[in-house]
Amino acid sequence: YPPKFEPVPCKPLFFDVALNHATFPSLDKKLGKKENPQKAGLTGLISNWWGWGGKK
Amino acid sequence: MAAQSPTNMTVLYGELNKFINVSDYKQALKAANKIIHTKEGKEDTEAMHCKAVCMMQMSQFAEALKFIEGAPEIKDLLVFEKAYCQYRLLQTEDALDTINQVKSPDLRLLELKAQVLYKLGQYSASLALYKNLIKEFSDEFEEERMTNISAVHAALSAFDGVKTEL
Repeated sequence: YPPKFEPVPCKPLFFDVALNHATFPSLDKKLGKKENPQKAGLTGLISNWWGWGGKK
Repeated sequence: MAAQSPTNMTVLYGELNKFINVSDYKQALKAANKIIHTKEGKEDTEAMHCKAVCMMQMSQFAEALKFIEGAPEIKDLLVFEKAYCQYRLLQTEDALDTINQVKSPDLRLLELKAQVLYKLGQYSASLALYKNLIKEFSDEFEEERMTNISAVHAALSAFDGVKTEL
């Protein structure tokens, strides 16, 4: 006593790369799918859609 | 009403998309919840997917895991997300079970599996996976991946006494 100092291996650096794979699904379909039929059919809504789309 | 609903849904999706793009996960979670709480969005897998990822990004892994396990619509779709939550909640064995239930796991699942195996001390199995991953992946995380491989090599030699070639 006191105990002697002795070297211990350090924990190797290890990254959590998998977190980067937790990504959001593409919402293009959700945003676009409903946009197209509107543009084709309802003239009254076209300006609305463009107004909304422009803000993106 | 029928003509009104899709418009409303697109607006809700626009909102969700906007918050995701600026990485405001708190607001994005609210937006996703709004969609899920509508009649037509109740079983919307994309909104549910977004909700789960939002919670994960905010480190609410227990909540995210509970949500995924409680929603039959996404249980099979969000296997990676489920396993990752288990991994982060230190339910490492469960995470491995979840991954092993997938017949043909994709690269994301395999990368998670390599990390899970490392955590479980199964260094040889982890190394075998990484050797394949480094060949298959081409993304911006190659350096991090190499670091992890080094860690596996170090662990093999320090804890298992196995000398490996880098």
